[in-house]
Amino acid sequence: MSQQKIDIDIAQQGDFKVIKPTGDLDVYTVGSLRDAIGQMIEDGTTRVVVDLDAVPFMDSSGLGALMGGVRRLREAGGDLAIACTREQHLKLFTITGFGEGVSIAPTVEEAATGFRS
Amino acid sequence: MRLSLRQKLVGGFGTLLVLIVLLGWVTLSLFGSLRTVQRRVFDTALPRLVAVDEIIRSFTAQSAAIRGYLISTDVSLLEQYRTEVETAIEFEALLLERDPRGNERELLENLIEAGEEFQDLIDTDVLPLAEQGQRSQAFRVLGQEGNVLISRIELLGEQLRLVQDRVVADAENTLRSRQSQVLLTLALVIVGTFTAGLLLAILLPRRLARNLDALVRAARGIERGDFNQRIEIHSGDEVEELAVRFNAMQRGLKRLQQLALQDRELEIAATIQRNLLQRSIPESEGLHVVPIQRQANLVGGDWYDIERSGRCLSVIIGDASGKGIAAALMATVTLSSIRAERGMGAGPKRIIDRANKALLDATESDSFTTVLLVNVDPESRVARWFNMGHHAPFLLRPRVDGVEGTYLEGPSNRALGWFEDPGHEEGVVELQPGDRIVLFTDGFLEAKDPDGQLFGEDRLAEALVKLAPLDAANLGEQMVGEVERFAAGKLDDDLTMLIVELEAP
Repeated sequence: MSQQKIDIDIAQQGDFKVIKPTGDLDVYTVGSLRDAIGQMIEDGTTRVVVDLDAVPFMDSSGLGALMGGVRRLREAGGDLAIACTREQHLKLFTITGFGEGVSIAPTVEEAATGFRS
Repeated sequence: MRLSLRQKLVGGFGTLLVLIVLLGWVTLSLFGSLRTVQRRVFDTALPRLVAVDEIIRSFTAQSAAIRGYLISTDVSLLEQYRTEVETAIEFEALLLERDPRGNERELLENLIEAGEEFQDLIDTDVLPLAEQGQRSQAFRVLGQEGNVLISRIELLGEQLRLVQDRVVADAENTLRSRQSQVLLTLALVIVGTFTAGLLLAILLPRRLARNLDALVRAARGIERGDFNQRIEIHSGDEVEELAVRFNAMQRGLKRLQQLALQDRELEIAATIQRNLLQRSIPESEGLHVVPIQRQANLVGGDWYDIERSGRCLSVIIGDASGKGIAAALMATVTLSSIRAERGMGAGPKRIIDRANKALLDATESDSFTTVLLVNVDPESRVARWFNMGHHAPFLLRPRVDGVEGTYLEGPSNRALGWFEDPGHEEGVVELQPGDRIVLFTDGFLEAKDPDGQLFGEDRLAEALVKLAPLDAANLGEQMVGEVERFAAGKLDDDLTMLIVELEAP
């Protein structure tokens, strides 16, 4: 399965970082997101908001990578929150139960208020 | 420096040609040098030697002619004397023309001076005395003063001859030395040219042959299936290029071999997965299930399992996250757990819990599996389901005026493999004869058209309703066809659909 790159913007915002992928988040591109989260943990960042505003499509691999990010960041003492307004993703979060216990909000700022302390 | 094979060959033969031209030039130069030495001997030294001899002979002849004249008063002898004087002057001039240097010039000048003194003696003393009739007195003067001068002339002539002899001897020595030099130089140039030619003839083909031999050995190794050979050739020509390509080709072949191996492994995995899927689908009276599956790859994460328990059918559809081998392994783990629990007569909740536990143990948190477990009782016409993070099933219900289609949005629990407690909320629906419950995986919803638009729930619902007049098997096939057409034949995910049909009486 060939890996493809996806554009990922990373920005510091207050005491957390925002990861903003642009493009489909699927089995082919999810490695980039996984690597970005892994690099943040290595660099000492543990509070991350993933902004899905520029992700038109996300499959189960993308959702799995988000859950993996939640677990790894929580193990490192931090958390992962989701900024998302796309109905399709929100439905996926609801159906699978991903949304339970993970802060999901329409904006980055609102999502960040839901970080587990 | 990088040189092509052609450049090397042209360069090699060009060098040889230059050496041969050099050899010719050196030979000609050396022969020219010998010729110069020879010319010096023949054109300079020998004429001088002859001239010296002639001068001495001339003065001796002058002396003899005068003596004869004094004795016989023969005028012809006086003429002979004059002729000899001219001869002496002529050869003296000849010697002076050659511009002698040092001792030779000094000796020549002394000789000329002595000759002039002799001629002066003859002209001023001897001949006047003879003409006056005093021949005895003339003889005496000639005998005393003339003989002294002739002896001096002979001595000087001898010394000059010695000088010329030395010049000739030196020239001969030079000639001999030059000859040796010529021979030595010629020998060296010939040996050098031969060696250079030999080296070119041996080394160039030898290196080429050695490099080609390395390539042949590598080719034989590849024939045996050894793709790990490293060919190191730094000849800077086409052979090095060939070796570089050869190494790249080996890497390519190795990748192909690995891919072939992976394909083989995939085929084995696919066989295992096919064997895990049910070969015969259980039925119940008035109730049957039609499975339809299109895998995008050899192996995938979609699976299903159908079991009859009494008059009820328990239908499960599952979809592991991701694709390929990893998804197939997760599917195998889940399906194995479910079969094991079913074999022990476990109920739906335990089946779900055990499958969840198996996935939690076997996978990382970025993997999960959605499961939809539906129990249908054809007698009571009740369907109960546990939706574990899966898409809601679709109900097709015949109406007088057609077919009604709705998603059964019942309670949803969590996907398996993430949480210790996935939840056990149950959905229930009362069925009517002719009802069809359609279970499907996300491949149907996430199929994309060439513009990237998703097939989605609405199109699926619409298509299912449209195809509802068909029997279940055809409905499933046509549905797959619809999605394939939508995706322009480029399906990226597996399509699995189970149509549970409660037969109409």
